[in-house]
Amino acid sequence: MVSLTPDLLQAVTKPARYTGNEWNSSGKRHEDVSCTFAFSMPDVYEVGMSNLGLKILYEILNRRVDTAAERVYAPWVDMEAEMRARSLPLFSLETRTPVREFDFLGFSLQYEMIYTNVLNMLDLAGISLWASERGEDETFVVGGGPCVYNVEPVADFFDLFVIGEGEEVLGELVSLFVAWKKEGRPGGRKEFLRRAAGISGIYVPSLYVPCYDVEGNFCGMERLDEAAPAVVYKRVIRDMDEAETMEQPVVPYIDIVHDRIMLELFRGCSRGCRFCQAGMAYRPVRERSKERLRSLARKMADATGYDEMSLTSLSSADYSCLDGLVDDLMEDFAGEQVSFSLPSLRIDSFSIGLADRMQQVRKSGLTFAPEAGTQRMRDVINKGVTEENLMRAVSAAFEKGWKSVKLYFMLGLPTETDEDIIGIAKLAKKVVDRYQEIKGKRGAKVTISVSCFVPKAFTPFQWAPQDSLAEFERKQRLLKDNIRDRSIQFNYHDARVSRLEGVLARGDRRLSKVVFEAWKRGAKFDGWSDQFHEEYWLDAFEALGVVPEYYNGRERGQEERFPWEHTSPGVSRAFLWTERERSRRGELTPDCRRGRCTGCAVCPTLDVRVIDREAGK
Amino acid sequence: MSEGNKNAAQRSIVYCRARITKDEPLRYISHLDYASLMQRAIRRAKIPAAYSEGFNPHMKMSFASALSVGVTSDAEYMDLELSEMMAEDEIAECLRPALPNGVRLLGLRIMKGKPKALMALTDEAGYEILVPLRGAFPEAQAAIGAFNAAKECMYLRKTPKKTREIEVRQYICGEIQAEAAENDLLCIRMAIRITPGGSVKPQEILTLLCEKFGLPVRAETALIHRCGLFCGGKELLSAGEVKP
Ligand code: SF4
Repeated sequence: MVSLTPDLLQAVTKPARYTGNEWNSSGKRHEDVSCTFAFSMPDVYEVGMSNLGLKILYEILNRRVDTAAERVYAPWVDMEAEMRARSLPLFSLETRTPVREFDFLGFSLQYEMIYTNVLNMLDLAGISLWASERGEDETFVVGGGPCVYNVEPVADFFDLFVIGEGEEVLGELVSLFVAWKKEGRPGGRKEFLRRAAGISGIYVPSLYVPCYDVEGNFCGMERLDEAAPAVVYKRVIRDMDEAETMEQPVVPYIDIVHDRIMLELFRGCSRGCRFCQAGMAYRPVRERSKERLRSLARKMADATGYDEMSLTSLSSADYSCLDGLVDDLMEDFAGEQVSFSLPSLRIDSFSIGLADRMQQVRKSGLTFAPEAGTQRMRDVINKGVTEENLMRAVSAAFEKGWKSVKLYFMLGLPTETDEDIIGIAKLAKKVVDRYQEIKGKRGAKVTISVSCFVPKAFTPFQWAPQDSLAEFERKQRLLKDNIRDRSIQFNYHDARVSRLEGVLARGDRRLSKVVFEAWKRGAKFDGWSDQFHEEYWLDAFEALGVVPEYYNGRERGQEERFPWEHTSPGVSRAFLWTERERSRRGELTPDCRRGRCTGCAVCPTLDVRVIDREAGK
Repeated sequence: MSEGNKNAAQRSIVYCRARITKDEPLRYISHLDYASLMQRAIRRAKIPAAYSEGFNPHMKMSFASALSVGVTSDAEYMDLELSEMMAEDEIAECLRPALPNGVRLLGLRIMKGKPKALMALTDEAGYEILVPLRGAFPEAQAAIGAFNAAKECMYLRKTPKKTREIEVRQYICGEIQAEAAENDLLCIRMAIRITPGGSVKPQEILTLLCEKFGLPVRAETALIHRCGLFCGGKELLSAGEVKP
């Protein structure tokens, strides 16, 4: 057990990040179990604790009598310095066991800019960074989360990845481990990984070797073992009502990013926005029934004492029984002072009405994501929202008493022109003016938050080049110059970070060395603007002779082989190409949720189906 | 009965006071976070707490005196308003299993009428500090003796906002006690006055003892524990009751 002395804890900010013992946290004795699993999100406690996926898996694994699951997050830089100065290894929150003593260390990879933190945490734990160098008794390092749809840039650091939803497959992995251990670990580490590769949804990168042609272009994966499937398809929960899930989430003592109950209404979203990886990767839509949701809400409220509940999903307002569910929940919790919220609002007055009912009188800001400033651009990305939709939605909001509205946009989308960018400023101005029309006075606060588009694997834009740094910065200036109303606040992202994300998002395995070199130079917490140092990365690229533009700056050919296609969410390449073509023509593709199947191939490939309670599907 | 009528009929507020602890597992929790963990515990216990009216209703709960991060306590006092009558034993029985590891319920009373605010009642706090001794015990005794003998003692209080010099001797009731404890630890006991005009934190006194009086310890290695809170020398659980 790692001991944390008072002078150490007094020296760091928010010491409660490291002291565990939260309500509903587990704490089994390791002698009593056959498998120990440390779950991590390689970010600080407040961010890591807010991740729904890890909460679910933590609880599910802890239900097994043979397994102890614990948590560990990235120590903030002050704590890291103290730990290194005192030679303290990375430890788990529950039992303060050094992480290297666990059988498994599982990282949830939510975004690319957190990769160097994985290396930093492995290093702090004293676990060999490169999977190939790990000894027989070392911890198995597991990856999961949305980044698995192109995990090659960090593949060399992991023993295996879980592709897709983890609720079922993680238990299968643990059972396999326990059986292998009971047999006396036949064949050692290698044999365990070979067996693991036989589980559907498990990707063991060491069983695959990427091939490159004479020009250095990726040309396919060679499989080293017949146990390794040519394509590892994601695992998917068929029926969200039947699946095991979270009922007693850990309640932190300190304020975290999402400090409330997360009630997951459904999984997947098939609106088909062409830039959105989540929309392609989490298909098909599978709703929970209203009854199941009510019972989960009750259980979680009783088990935690939380007074806030968020109805989460990729686009919660699309839940078919939302109206009725909200009524039922408000009735179930009448007199209990529980407030409900929708994290993502659809751009329509139905959503405003609901938000109004749920928030009662607390009028915090409303957030919408039109994503682009002109109809042409919105058609290109298949964001089926018109200016009229938006104006109606904000009108309804202003009428109901809201004053501040936040609008999300992207810069650098394929085919974008300056007119599309100026369109963002114009749209924001119209929203400001609408307030004055309705209220007869000024007073709206409109924030536009503009990110830089990063083309992602398994989207119709996976072939597209990303804008250069200079172009992003020119566009940001152009937009800024076109905002002349003082009620509009303009926030934008650091384009350098987005460019780097663009490299990693569609990179290949050769980038493992770059990530390593950047980390060695000091890169960590790259997603935190005060911690990001571009020079570490630029130096690393240069030292290794890697040209980042090769990954983020070029238009890729229709026939080009991609280094991510062997870990697949099941959506077909043909569908993605067709969507790319349709986007060029500004043609919309409807949602398959209540309408016809539009042929993305996920359902037949994975033998699943859309579950929509209203459509009776 | 409609919801409104029911509320009106039940608007006989019950005041409940509890003495609870903040033990080792919660040492590094801030006062605000401690208050919210208690609110969640009360909700889990399904005790009928009263809430404020208005846009952002909050549980009607108040504490005697904020406790710093890093300090444990056997003497946290909390007043809670209930919207319905509930017997003392019953409240305790519901609350105990809902308390996290690190909070124990030491006492609980239904108050007679609306009590005076705990914050206003509290005039003295007792602390015990355990800190590794880095010199000989007589050296420590001498340092503390010198502090006790001083009539005045200035301390430079630095907050992120401002720096200001305050006289702290006035806030120490009587003398600070010191004794040698096991494992080369020094045990320091002090009673601190809490006045409308201000007070001092035990950490501040300890820092002062190190910096100005040469107490041979490192202040940052100290474990500080609050052992009591008082009103006119009386334990707070029954203080400040107003005759109904
Ligand atoms: S296969 Fe058809 S129904 Fe299923 S998610 Fe794709 S488009 Fe929708």
